[in-house]
Amino acid sequence: MSVPVKRPEIIADGFPPRRPRWVEIATSADHKDLGRILITGSLGFLFIALVELLLMRLQLAIPENTFLDPVTFNRMLSLYGATAIFLFAVPLALGFFYYVTPLQIGARGMALPHFGQLGVWLYIAGATVLYSGFLFTPTEAGVNPLAPLSSLAFLPNNGVDAWAAATGLATLGFVLIAIDLVATLRKLRAPGMAWRRLPVFSWAAAISSWLLLVIGPVMLAALTMLLIDRNFEGIFFSGEAGGSPLLWQHLSWIFFTGSYMLVLIFALGTIAEIVPAMARKPLFNRGAVIGSLVAIAIVGTAAWMQNMFTAPIGIGWMYFAMAMSLALIVPFGLVFFNLIATLVGGTARMRAPLLFAAGAIAAIAVGLASEVSHSMVALGWRLQHTTDSTAATHFALVGGAVFGGFAALHWWFPKMTGRTMGETLARMSFWTMVLGTLLAFVPLFLAGAEEGQVVDAYKFFSGGAIDTYNLIATIGAFLLAAGIVMTLVNAILSREGGAATGHDPWGGDSLEWLALSPPDPHNFDVLPDVRSPRPMRDIREAISRRTRRAEQPARESQPVA
Amino acid sequence: MSPSSPGTEQIDTLLWIGFVVATILIVAVIAGLLYALRRYRAERGAEPRQLTGGRRIQARVGGALGVFAAAILVVSIIYTDKAREAPASGAAGLQVSHSEPLKIATTGQQWLWRYDYPNEAFSYYKLVVPVDTAVELDLVSTDVVHTWDVPDLAPKRDAVPGKTNHVVFSADEEGTYFGQAAALSGQAYAAMRTEVEVVSPEEYEAFVEAQKEEIQAAQDRVVGLIERGETP
Repeated sequence: MSVPVKRPEIIADGFPPRRPRWVEIATSADHKDLGRILITGSLGFLFIALVELLLMRLQLAIPENTFLDPVTFNRMLSLYGATAIFLFAVPLALGFFYYVTPLQIGARGMALPHFGQLGVWLYIAGATVLYSGFLFTPTEAGVNPLAPLSSLAFLPNNGVDAWAAATGLATLGFVLIAIDLVATLRKLRAPGMAWRRLPVFSWAAAISSWLLLVIGPVMLAALTMLLIDRNFEGIFFSGEAGGSPLLWQHLSWIFFTGSYMLVLIFALGTIAEIVPAMARKPLFNRGAVIGSLVAIAIVGTAAWMQNMFTAPIGIGWMYFAMAMSLALIVPFGLVFFNLIATLVGGTARMRAPLLFAAGAIAAIAVGLASEVSHSMVALGWRLQHTTDSTAATHFALVGGAVFGGFAALHWWFPKMTGRTMGETLARMSFWTMVLGTLLAFVPLFLAGAEEGQVVDAYKFFSGGAIDTYNLIATIGAFLLAAGIVMTLVNAILSREGGAATGHDPWGGDSLEWLALSPPDPHNFDVLPDVRSPRPMRDIREAISRRTRRAEQPARESQPVA
Repeated sequence: MSPSSPGTEQIDTLLWIGFVVATILIVAVIAGLLYALRRYRAERGAEPRQLTGGRRIQARVGGALGVFAAAILVVSIIYTDKAREAPASGAAGLQVSHSEPLKIATTGQQWLWRYDYPNEAFSYYKLVVPVDTAVELDLVSTDVVHTWDVPDLAPKRDAVPGKTNHVVFSADEEGTYFGQAAALSGQAYAAMRTEVEVVSPEEYEAFVEAQKEEIQAAQDRVVGLIERGETP
């Protein structure tokens, strides 16, 4: 007879929140709250970027349109670029890194939570500055405001200053978040979570953070010089007075190329989580995938001069940039090969995350393959600065940030809310987005390569097939936007109305699926000893082994004494 | 688009190589993906083999990709060197005393192109060059960065303030070629176009002489007025 053990009574929940919920979230330094702020904020800015894109596409629907005047068009273009990069793509990636990484490595929080908190607030401050356009005049200098168009002499209003302040605040925020992620990944991994067992998405977080620690300060330095030039009579980027307009190009392209790579590393890291779990196989050649992501960060960023083939730089530098760009074929090719090889022999469950992951792989492949042709120097002289390069960049970044971001959203939505996103709406959204992406950007490839339509122009002149291409591209952009809005609506509706799920809806391999959905503030009650790269699978197997043993019937014949 | 100079013909060939390379890469990834997704679906009771991959297949795939990339690199360098090689002036072209190309200083400014010919004549918007003659444009800008782009004749190049950029070409046939500036340069950027008229050497000589005389006459008129004490 067993004696009942008297347990001490500990009540761990049930305390009423002391302050209103929004105050709790707004002042929280918890990585899950901050991650949700980043993800929600960047999805909101995705919508705003779409509106700006559609306004520009409406202007370009027919030749010599007068829907937008040139100044308004240039403002839309500048706002669109800053919003898409600084307020959507990079913070979306960082938001998922910030939310998921501590859960994946079995940490109960961040190492430097107030760094991350300050980073999120700097991002919000940057967004506020960029969109306080009614207080000043927005910048007209374009996506990357090349010196000396960005100088005081040519754009004397405060638009460029506000752009520089906004992107600078956001970039500083990203760097602080990256410092926090680097420290957390180094210090707070669970027992047994060696680097070789770290999930690929956490590797992507580590690589992206280190990348930001390199490219972020470069951009901050460039922006500081720009502000000095404009406000304190500096000459860093002036052509005549001993400065160099090319200096801005080098510094800014290092950042933009690096953040392009960051978005792709985020997308591939996400896909490398989804594909193995959905195919119920381990990632094929895990080590090679991780090594490839490292190589993409280094070699990809080293290819920044690929954007400067028309600038007065030596041909040797152009060949160097081309060699770096072409070398990227190897790591990207290996990642794609290994992701597909993971599917081979597996049992793929075609749910929304895998669907969006497949869309991301296809779109990124189209974008990068076109970038390969743009990096062939003489061909770059023909294709760069045309809508062909617009199309290539959009294929890669819509693939990485939108398809990849939506794959991440569908994948981790159950973890964040305890509910899955609606599958029907997800499928409708996906196929609308696929059709929209093809219609919006394939005609731009043709308009650029065949007709030489130039990039960033507020109008084009009628002639040949260029009219048809632009009209189709406008229709496609509207379809793409409709598809994206469907997923945003799906996310909003599913927060309350989605099907409730347990802690592990997908049968994932990494530790975030051990925590509750949504996780407790301290993430985990108990932490297992990590013994393999698939700790959650180990736990599931241990449980089923024990269950089997317990369910074994007693032997029929008792040994006779 | 119809390439009309030796350089752009090389670029056109490279365009087809680039198109084929990009198509191969896109088809390989998407076909592999679609095959794997269609063939290996979830089935009741099926338990996948837990393959983790191997070094050998990785080295093979990586090596093949590396060889592919190296081949593209070599081909691109060959064609780029051909495309940027200064073309020699042909028999039908302008016969200059030395083997140097015909140098035309090209200045970008918001939102016009100015062409300065060797005999001090200049023209705005329209560039006149002799056929079958090596022409070198020395590009600078007086204000912001502009990109000079006449895709049928030459590779595009930036005009940057404070640093001279060069583009060399030789037009095969007489005719008129249009181009449009290709870097955002402010309000009237999309309207910043240019026209290159390729003519016979005689017509070119006549054009620059006439242009020079016209400019000189305009100047003389003003100077004459001043000398006569009149208000110009």
